[in-house]
Amino acid sequence: MSETAHADAHEHHDHRPTGWKRWVYSTNHKDIGTMYLALAMIGAIVGTAASMAIRVELHEPGVQFITDFQFYNVLVTAHGFIMVFFVVMPALIGGFGNWFIPLMIGTPDMAFPRMNNISFWLLPAALILLVIAGLIDGGPGTGWTVYPPLANADFHPGMAVDFGILSLHLAGASSILGAINFITTIVNMRAPGMTFHRMPLFIWAMLLTAILLLLAIPVLAGALTMLLTDRNFDTAFFSPAGGGDPLLWQHLFWFFGHPEVYIMIIPAFGVISEIVSTFSKKPIFGYLGMAYAMAAIGVVGFIVWAHHMYTVGFNVETRAYFTLATMVIAVPTGVKIFSWLATMWGGSIKFDTPMLFAMGFIFLFVVGGVTGVTLANAGADQAFHDTYFVVAHFHYVLSVAAIFAMYAGFYYWIGKMSGKQYPEGMARLQFWVTFIGVNILFFPQHFAGMAGMPRRIPDYPDAYAGWNMISSWGAYITAVGAILFFVVLWKTLTSKETVAANQWGTGANTLEWTVASPAPFHTHEQTPAIGTQPAAIGTQPAE
Amino acid sequence: MQNSRRIILGYNSGVAFLITAFAAFMASGANAAEPIPWQMNFQPAATPVMEKIIDFHNLLLTIQVGIVVLVLGLMLYIIIKFNSKSNPEPSKTTHNTPLEVIWTVIPIVILIVLAVPSMKLLFFMDKAPNPEMTLKITGHQWYWSYQYPDNGDFEFDSNIIPDDEIKPGQRRLLEVDNQVVLPVNTEIRLLMTSEDVIHNWAIPAFGVKMDTVPGRTNESWIKVTKPGTYYGQCSELCGVNHGFMPVAVKVVSKDEFKKWAAEAKKEFAKAKNTPVKVVKMKSPAQAQLR
Amino acid sequence: MANEAAKTHPWHVPEPSPWPIIGTIAGFIMAVGGIWFMHDGPIYLFGVGVLILIYTFYGWWRQVVLEANTAGAHSEQVKIGLRYGFIFFIVSEIMFFFAFFWAFFHSSLPILNNVAQAWPPEGIELIPASGVPLLNTLILLSSSATVTVAHHAILDDNRSKAIMWTWITAILGAVFLFFQAEEYIDATFKLSDGIYPSTFYLATGFHGFHVFVGTCFLAVCAMRLQKGHFKPDHHIGFEAAAWYWHFVDVVWIFLFVNVYIWGSSSFGHVAAG
Ligand code: HEA
Ligand code: HEA
Ligand code: CUA
Ligand SMILES: [Cu+2]
Repeated sequence: MSETAHADAHEHHDHRPTGWKRWVYSTNHKDIGTMYLALAMIGAIVGTAASMAIRVELHEPGVQFITDFQFYNVLVTAHGFIMVFFVVMPALIGGFGNWFIPLMIGTPDMAFPRMNNISFWLLPAALILLVIAGLIDGGPGTGWTVYPPLANADFHPGMAVDFGILSLHLAGASSILGAINFITTIVNMRAPGMTFHRMPLFIWAMLLTAILLLLAIPVLAGALTMLLTDRNFDTAFFSPAGGGDPLLWQHLFWFFGHPEVYIMIIPAFGVISEIVSTFSKKPIFGYLGMAYAMAAIGVVGFIVWAHHMYTVGFNVETRAYFTLATMVIAVPTGVKIFSWLATMWGGSIKFDTPMLFAMGFIFLFVVGGVTGVTLANAGADQAFHDTYFVVAHFHYVLSVAAIFAMYAGFYYWIGKMSGKQYPEGMARLQFWVTFIGVNILFFPQHFAGMAGMPRRIPDYPDAYAGWNMISSWGAYITAVGAILFFVVLWKTLTSKETVAANQWGTGANTLEWTVASPAPFHTHEQTPAIGTQPAAIGTQPAE
Repeated sequence: MQNSRRIILGYNSGVAFLITAFAAFMASGANAAEPIPWQMNFQPAATPVMEKIIDFHNLLLTIQVGIVVLVLGLMLYIIIKFNSKSNPEPSKTTHNTPLEVIWTVIPIVILIVLAVPSMKLLFFMDKAPNPEMTLKITGHQWYWSYQYPDNGDFEFDSNIIPDDEIKPGQRRLLEVDNQVVLPVNTEIRLLMTSEDVIHNWAIPAFGVKMDTVPGRTNESWIKVTKPGTYYGQCSELCGVNHGFMPVAVKVVSKDEFKKWAAEAKKEFAKAKNTPVKVVKMKSPAQAQLR
Repeated sequence: MANEAAKTHPWHVPEPSPWPIIGTIAGFIMAVGGIWFMHDGPIYLFGVGVLILIYTFYGWWRQVVLEANTAGAHSEQVKIGLRYGFIFFIVSEIMFFFAFFWAFFHSSLPILNNVAQAWPPEGIELIPASGVPLLNTLILLSSSATVTVAHHAILDDNRSKAIMWTWITAILGAVFLFFQAEEYIDATFKLSDGIYPSTFYLATGFHGFHVFVGTCFLAVCAMRLQKGHFKPDHHIGFEAAAWYWHFVDVVWIFLFVNVYIWGSSSFGHVAAG
C-alpha cells in the first residue's frame, strides 16, 4: 500500500492527510482526540452560557429576565445534559483518552481507528439534536433525569423530548463504540512487558471507565427506547393507567446514572494520579491499592443506584440496604485520597499549574465527597433531597473536581499535544480565579439547601436571597476564569516558545514523554521497551 | 508597639467576626418555621423526626469537618515541607503497609459509627407507631389538595397566593389560600398520591419529604410539637410551575382544630363543585399552560 | 527501506475513511426522520436514513473484508483484537436486553414493585408456550447446532459442507422469523393494550430484530464462504456471526422460560396485598 511510499526520510515520517479530509475522515487517534477536546470546549461555552443564564435569573428573588418558566426548566435540562455528555465525557474520555492511551501503552493507534472516528462524529450530531430539542415545541423541561410522567406525551407533547431522547441515543452509541475501542486497545495492544500491573494509573482509569460505559449505557438506551415507545406508540412501561410504573424509569435511569457519575470522575482520578506523581518526582504511592480502589468504586457503583430515590416511597429495608451500600464507596475513595497525599509526602514538589489544579482537585473533591456521604443516609436525605444541598454536592464533585481535572490535564499535556509552552503566570492566575470563583459559587448553596431551598425553581422565597446573590457572584467569577482559560489557550497556541519532549523532567516517566513534542502524527511505530517498575517506564530505543 | 497593637486589634476583630458568625450559625432560624435571610443551618425542628435528623446531622457534620480539616492540614504541611525548595531530594517510598491498613480501617470504623444512628433514624422515621388521624394529600399541576378522612371527610384545594395579591407581612411564594390545619401533639399519618405527574410534599421543619407518585400511595407521618405556621415547597420537578406550589400548614391546639374541622366541613362541602381557582402568575407561559 | 523509523508493530492502522461520517449522517437523518414520522409526518426521510445506513454498512464492511483478504493487514494480534471487540459488543447487547428484562420483572413481580398487579393482567389472552414458541425454541436450538457443524467444517477446510450448513442456519433463522410474525399477527393483544403487551412486544421484538440481523450476517458469511474467503485459520467474520447467533439463542431461552412459560403461569405472581 501507499504507506511506505510517503514515509520518506522525513524525521518522524510525518505524512498526514491534508485539508478537511484529515479531520472528517480521520483514523488518527491524536486528531480524533483533538476534535473531542474542541467539541468539549464548544460544549463548555454553551453549557456555561446556560448556567450563567440560570445564575442571572437566580441572582435576586423575582423574575429577572426569564418570564417563561418552561424556558428556565429547559435551561436547567440543557445545562445538565451538555455539561455531562458534551463537556466532561468528551474532554476526559474522548479527548485525553484518545490522545494518551496509545501514547502511554506504546502502541501506534487505537484498536479500531475508523470506529474511533464514528464515536467522535456521533457526538456533534447528538449535540445538534439536543440544541434542536431545546428550540422546538417549548423544549424539554424535564431536568436531565427526564422522569415520566412529566416526560410523557401527556405533559410534553411535541417533539422536544423525542429530540432529547434521540440525542442521547446517538451520544450513547458513541460511548458504547468508544468503550469497545478503549477496552480492546488497552487489553490487547499494550507494548510487550507492560503487564496490567505496570500500566500507568491513567490507563487503569480509562479501562475501568470504559467497562462502566459498556455496562451502563445500554441500560439507558433500553430505558430511552421504552420512553420513546411510551410517548409515541402507546406502550405503558411508565404509565400507571396501563399497569406500568413511573418508578421503573427511575430504576433504569439511575442504574445508568450512578455509574455515570463515576464514569465522569474515574478518568479524573487517572489524570490526577499522573500529575501528582510527576510533580512530586515520586512514583505513585500504593499503586496496586490505587488501581483496585478504582475497580472497587466501579463495582460498588453498580449496586447503589437507588440512593437517588430515597423519597419515592420504598420500604425501609430497601432504603437501609442502599444507605449501607452507598457508604461503602467512601472507603476505596479514601484510599485514593490518602495515597495521593502519601505520594506527595516526602516529594520534591513543583507547584506548576497542573499541580495547583490537582491539589485543588484533591481538597475540593473531599469536600464534595463528604457531603455525598451525608446524602447517602436515607434518613438525612429526607431533609436534603432535591434541595440546593444536593446541587452543591454534585457541583463540588463535577463542576469543581471533574472540571479541575480537565484543566489540570490540559496544562499537563498541552505541551505534548501542541508543542507549545502555555504562559505559566496567566495559567496560575486562571487557577486562582477559578478556585475562588467555584467556592463562592457552590459553598453557599449548602446553606441555601439546608435552609430548605428546592432545586429547579426559577424564583425563590425572599429569605434565600442572600446566599443566592453570593452564589451568582461566584458564578460570574468562575466564568471569568473560563474566559481566562480560553485566553491562555489562545496565547499557548500562538506562542513561539516550544517545549522539550519531556518538559516536566525526572518525575514524568510515562511513555508519552519519550516522544517528541508536539507528538508526531505517527508515534510508537517501533514498539517501545518497557521497564520493570510498576507504571514507571523505561526509555524508547533511540530513534 | 503601634504595629503589634494593630495586629492584636486585627486579631480581635477577626475573632469577634468568627464568634458572631458562629452565633448566627447556631441561632439561625430560632423560632421560625420558615427560612430566614442568611440562614446557614436547618430550620428548627417541629417534629421528633426533624429533631433526630438534626442530631444525626450534627454528628455527620462534626466527622466531616474533621475529615476535611485533616486533609487540608496534611496538604498545607506538604506544601510547606515538601516543596522543591525545602526538600530538593524526593524520597522513594511507595509502600507502607501499616499506613495503608490504617487509612482503610479508620474510614470503615467511622462509617460504622455513622451507620448505627443512621439506621435508628431511618427506622424511626419510617412509620407512625400509632397514628391518631390521617391526612390525605394529592399533588396536582400545580396545587395541592387535602382530604381529612377522620374528621368528616371533607376535601379542599390549596393554591399559591400570587405575587400581586401578597399582603404586607405575607411570605412571597410560600403563602397559600387554604392552609392545611392540623392539631398539635398528634400523631398524624400522611397518605400521598398524585393525579398527574410526580410531585413531592415537603416541609423542612417537619423533616418530611415524600414523592407523590401517580398510581401509588406513599406514607409518611408527623407529630408536630409546637403550634405555628410551617412552610414548604413542592420538591420534585413537576413542570412549568414547579416553583409555585407551596405547602403551608397551620398547627393549632387540639380544641381549635376540632372547631376548625367542623367549620371546614361545612365550607368545603359547598366549595367542592366550584371550579379550581386559576392563579395568575407573572409569567404569560404559566397562564397558558394551566 | 531508507526509512529508519520502520514500523515494527503488528497493528493495523487503516487509511482515512469516509464511512464514519457517512454513518453519522445516516444516524442523524434516521433520528430526525424517525421523530418526524412519529409526529404524523411521512416515513420517507427515516427511510432515506436507513438506506444510507445500509450503504454505510455495505461500504465499510466491504473495506474490512478487502483488508481481511489482503495479506498482512490482519495479523494474529489484530485478529485477537477483532475478537475482543466483538465480544465487548455482545456484552453491551446483553446489557440492552437487561433493561427489557428488568422492565418485565419489575412489572410482573410484586417484590420488585409493590403496586404490581396480577400477572398476566386480566383480559390478556396469552400465547400458549407449548405452541409456536416451543417450535421456535426448537428451531433456534437446532440452528445453534447447525452453525457449530458449519464452523467445524471450516476448521476441517471442508468448504462445501460449511456452505451448506451455514445456509441451513440462516434459513432456520428466517423460518423463526416467519413463525414469530405469524405469532404477532395471531395475537389478540395490541402493543397499546397496557403493560403486558409493552414488555412482551418490545422484548420479543428486539430479539426478533436481532435474529434478523444475525440471519443477514450468516447469509453474508455463506456468500463469503462461496467466494472462498474463509480459511481454517482465518475466519473471524464467521466466528463473530456464530457468537452473535449463540447470543441471540441464549436471549431466546431466557425469553421462552421467563416471558412465555413463567410469565403465563400463576407461580410467583400473587398480586400485592
Ligand atoms: C462526579 C460525580 C459524582 C461523584 C464522584 C459523586 C460521589 C458520591 N455521591 Fe453523588 N451525585 C452526583 C455526582 C457525583 N456524586 C450527581 C450529579 C448527583 C445528583 C443527580 C441529580 O439528582 O440530578 C448526585 C447525588 C447524590 C445523591 C442523591 C441525593 C439526592 O438526590 O437526594 C447521593 C445519595 O447518596 C450521593 C452520594 C454520593 C456518594 C456517597 C459519593 C461518594 O462516591 C463520595 C466518596 C468520597 C468521599 C467520602 C471523600 C473522600 C474520602 C475520605 C477522605 C475517606 C474518609 C471519609 C469518610 C469515612 C466519610 N450523590
Ligand atoms: C459537569 C457537570 C456540570 C458543570 C461543569 C456545571 C457547572 C455549573 N453549574 Fe451546573 N448542573 C449540572 C452539571 C454541571 N454544572 C447538572 C447535572 C445539573 C442538574 C440539572 C437538572 O437539575 O436536571 C446542574 C444544575 C445546576 C444548577 C441548578 C439549577 C436548578 O436546579 O434550578 C445551577 C444553579 O446555580 C447550576 C449552576 C452551574 C454553574 C454556575 C456552573 C459553573 O461552574 C460553570 C462555569 C464553567 C466551567 C467551570 C466550565 C469551564 C470549562 C471549560 C472552559 C472547558 C475547558 C475545556 C478543556 C480543558 C478541554 N447548575
Ligand atoms: Cu409539584 Cu413540583
Ligand atoms: Cu449516585
